[in-house]
Amino acid sequence: MTGLSFDPMLPWPLIAVAAVLALLIAVWSLWRGLRGWSLRGLAGLALALALAGPALESGIRNKLSDIVILLDDRSASQSLPGRGAQTDAAIDGLTQQLTALPDTEVRRVTVGDDPDGSLIGTALTKALAAEPQTRVAGVIALTDGLAHDLPQLPKTAPAPVHVLLTGQPTDWDRRLVVEEAPAYGLIDKPVTIRVRIEDQGAVPPQVAQTPARLQISLDGEAARSLDLPPGVPLDLPVVPKHAGQNVVSIGFDTPDAPTPELTTRNNAAAIQIQGVRDRLRVLLVSGEPHAGERTWRNLLKSDANIDLVHFTILRPPDKMDAVPVDEMSLIAFPTQELFMERIRDFDLIIFDRYKVRGILMPQYYDNIRRYVEAGGAVLVSAGPEMSTVESLNLSPLGTILPARPTGRVYNQPFLPELTEAGQRHPVTAGLTGAPVEGRDDHWGRWLRMSQVIPSPRAQVVMTGADDQPLLLLDRVGEGRVAMLTSDQVWLWGRGFEGGGPQLELLRRIAHWSMQEPDLEEEALTADVSGESVTITRRTMAEETKPIRITRPDGSEEQVELSQAEPGRFTANWTAPGPGLYRMTDGDITRVMALGPAAPREFEETVATGTKLAALTQATQGGVVNLSDGVPAIRTVREGRQAHGQGVGGDWIGITPRDAASTSGVTHRPILPGWAWLALVAGLALAGWLAEGRGWRRRA
Amino acid sequence: MIGTRVIAILTLLLWAVAARAQDPDPRLIQAADDVALAYVVTGDAEVDRASQAGLRGVSQTLIDRTTVEPGQPIGIDLDQDDLSLLTFLYWPVTDSQPSPGPQAYVRLNHFLRSGGVILFDTRDGDIAGLGGPDGAAALQRLAAPLDVPPLAPIPSDHVLTRSYYLLDDFPGRYQGREVWAEAPPAGAEAAEGVPFRSLNDGVSPVIIGGNSWAEAWAIDENGLPMFSVGSGLDGERQREMAYRFGVNLIMYVLTGNYKSDQVHVPALLERLRDEEAIR
Repeated sequence: MTGLSFDPMLPWPLIAVAAVLALLIAVWSLWRGLRGWSLRGLAGLALALALAGPALESGIRNKLSDIVILLDDRSASQSLPGRGAQTDAAIDGLTQQLTALPDTEVRRVTVGDDPDGSLIGTALTKALAAEPQTRVAGVIALTDGLAHDLPQLPKTAPAPVHVLLTGQPTDWDRRLVVEEAPAYGLIDKPVTIRVRIEDQGAVPPQVAQTPARLQISLDGEAARSLDLPPGVPLDLPVVPKHAGQNVVSIGFDTPDAPTPELTTRNNAAAIQIQGVRDRLRVLLVSGEPHAGERTWRNLLKSDANIDLVHFTILRPPDKMDAVPVDEMSLIAFPTQELFMERIRDFDLIIFDRYKVRGILMPQYYDNIRRYVEAGGAVLVSAGPEMSTVESLNLSPLGTILPARPTGRVYNQPFLPELTEAGQRHPVTAGLTGAPVEGRDDHWGRWLRMSQVIPSPRAQVVMTGADDQPLLLLDRVGEGRVAMLTSDQVWLWGRGFEGGGPQLELLRRIAHWSMQEPDLEEEALTADVSGESVTITRRTMAEETKPIRITRPDGSEEQVELSQAEPGRFTANWTAPGPGLYRMTDGDITRVMALGPAAPREFEETVATGTKLAALTQATQGGVVNLSDGVPAIRTVREGRQAHGQGVGGDWIGITPRDAASTSGVTHRPILPGWAWLALVAGLALAGWLAEGRGWRRRA
Repeated sequence: MIGTRVIAILTLLLWAVAARAQDPDPRLIQAADDVALAYVVTGDAEVDRASQAGLRGVSQTLIDRTTVEPGQPIGIDLDQDDLSLLTFLYWPVTDSQPSPGPQAYVRLNHFLRSGGVILFDTRDGDIAGLGGPDGAAALQRLAAPLDVPPLAPIPSDHVLTRSYYLLDDFPGRYQGREVWAEAPPAGAEAAEGVPFRSLNDGVSPVIIGGNSWAEAWAIDENGLPMFSVGSGLDGERQREMAYRFGVNLIMYVLTGNYKSDQVHVPALLERLRDEEAIR
């Protein structure tokens, strides 16, 4: 870069005045007919130019080296057999060739594993941004081409981008693709998972024609199997059985072939479906309005997940008054509809101080009994009426109730206490305020309860006066029955003698009856955070068996649990890696999926250049298979095709950029001062001579 | 010898007293068991007698007509008795009654917060609003320390108007006076298709009026009315309506807005039917 610059010795206006003066003199001379007018004018102009100080300016250039970015993909999919060695060999060969080129630097970029897969696009964008655009002479990426961040891939680059693909031409893989899987599902309502089998690469003909044998299992139960040909989508109905994580594992047997498929890690998938309970419907039947009735209403109405249907017997059939019906606000109790037609729609029926007084017909009670045996739930909160002839126990429902009354009612203050079983049972364990020996700050007393004889199967979790059963829980068939032998739990809500955890207790009883998994007596749960797992075994037993964990590869290990509190045994365990683990203590089996069963890296494994082809084409680069040998490197001019076939195999080109930096500026006046003087003086002299005698004398 | 014996007996007696103090008043235990109605003892013998007779009358009406069978009404000394065993308290307002102590107000506020209901009766329905002295000043003096929510005259769609009988007025010995309860929350408008607004699930902790209900309800030991109400047949009709208000009030206290919810039950059953059809 060379240019003209001025370094005026006088301010520009004065120089301009000088130039104008010179022109005026020339014009005046012409008017006077002087012959040297042009020379006079030139002399004046030359003087003005000299005053402006014209100079030549030029930069000092330093030649810069070219940069070649050499990117190697070391993500997990590149760890497949052979690919690592292939990459190493190619790196060595290319580095040797590049360092042999004059003025060429190599920048190494390594792409590792990321939870989101191989981020080649991001790495390329970063590497290009870190180098001066004018010096990048080429980009060479050694990869299997399976980039997972294509949107991050630069659209173009200042130099050819070459992709050297690892892998062999015989590579093939059969994989399981989960096209659609819901994250949530209502319990007992089928959800659909759509899967398909996909073949990639050079699939051996004996495999291409055969369907894959799918093995499907829910929560580690026995697998169902079916054949699915590749390319055909399969809609798989799955019914979440319980709340929380339902793990569906789907996999197929590795196909037999002379060349094994690249990996078997994408032959299986673990799909986690969060089981969600539908809205719960509770039928509350109050035998009479009483002080505790609003307690139930408060509980059930404050739960947004519960639809409450409540009926209170406001007027018994045997009482009449003379008030006309249209002045009363009573509605008929739709017993036939509730207890015969709609009973299966309810998740729980609560009898709150209900007296048998001829409103419900015996066949209704029979129906309620059948409903419970088929998986329903009944909760009886009994007042003193239980000890009378109007007791529910004397109805056909009595056969499934967990206790029968003796007829005695305790009318005395008593302190509800947890039994041994109650301290372990999830319904009562950990209730705040439970009496502990030697401590005074316990919950308040109740004032009345009925004496009952528990049925042998029933579990007594709370006791009251004289250590008589207060809260009994029982299972009947598929269903559950709970009984509270006092109606005075409302005293806790009122704060009598400090009150107690009334809402919490009733909530737990109701939800246990509705088979809430969090309140299951025998449960094995795993709290997964990353790869560390907290295993909790809740049990009514005194001690637990160790947990046997089956790893994804089939090997086993044992974990001992220690008691955290009565009925709860826990252990912390760290999984060796992602995958599907099965844990069991012999009674309960749980399956947990840690991380993705088939990490993203192994979803697709057959090397392909198509994902990066757009970038290589935009930059005249090429996609070369490393299985054909390491390509030779040539230099080509910018904009020319930078990839081709030579005698010795493929070649790839880099474009030397001829970049340089300017390290300084030189400033050279066009003429030295004395030369200007000579020029101006010469011109003036020539003018004088032209006008003077010199010419005339000769003439 | 005698001295030690006296001391021993005294100690025993004291111990027995201390032990008894542990147990709540048997009257209150009985009240908790039987949902007995309770009234505040004002110290004015006439008024207290009327309160007791009035609650006896309304209890008897409940026993005769409904499933609620309250026990004998009990008088409550606010400075002594534990209110947590009670559900309903009738509080006649008199000029002469002393304000309860601070401890009593702590108990009263707890009672209101945990679901109890107080009916304040200024018993001045005949003279209030005429400019003369009425019960307003005494009511203010007694109720000021209570945590009472904003009040409003009971609207015609309140659940009190339909908790058992259908009522459009709440007469006692006097009638036509407005009765006040907790104001509905702002924006609680009648939902579409629902004949009355769904008030918040709570029950108004206080109900205030001046219709001298106890006197209208009051019966003596023979079950005969103790005070005249109105005149002739109209008066007897008014007494009947007063009993109906008493029944509605106790139903409201015990069942909350159960009646208000019941308008939703047909819709809920309808939904079950629809779901069945879909299945």
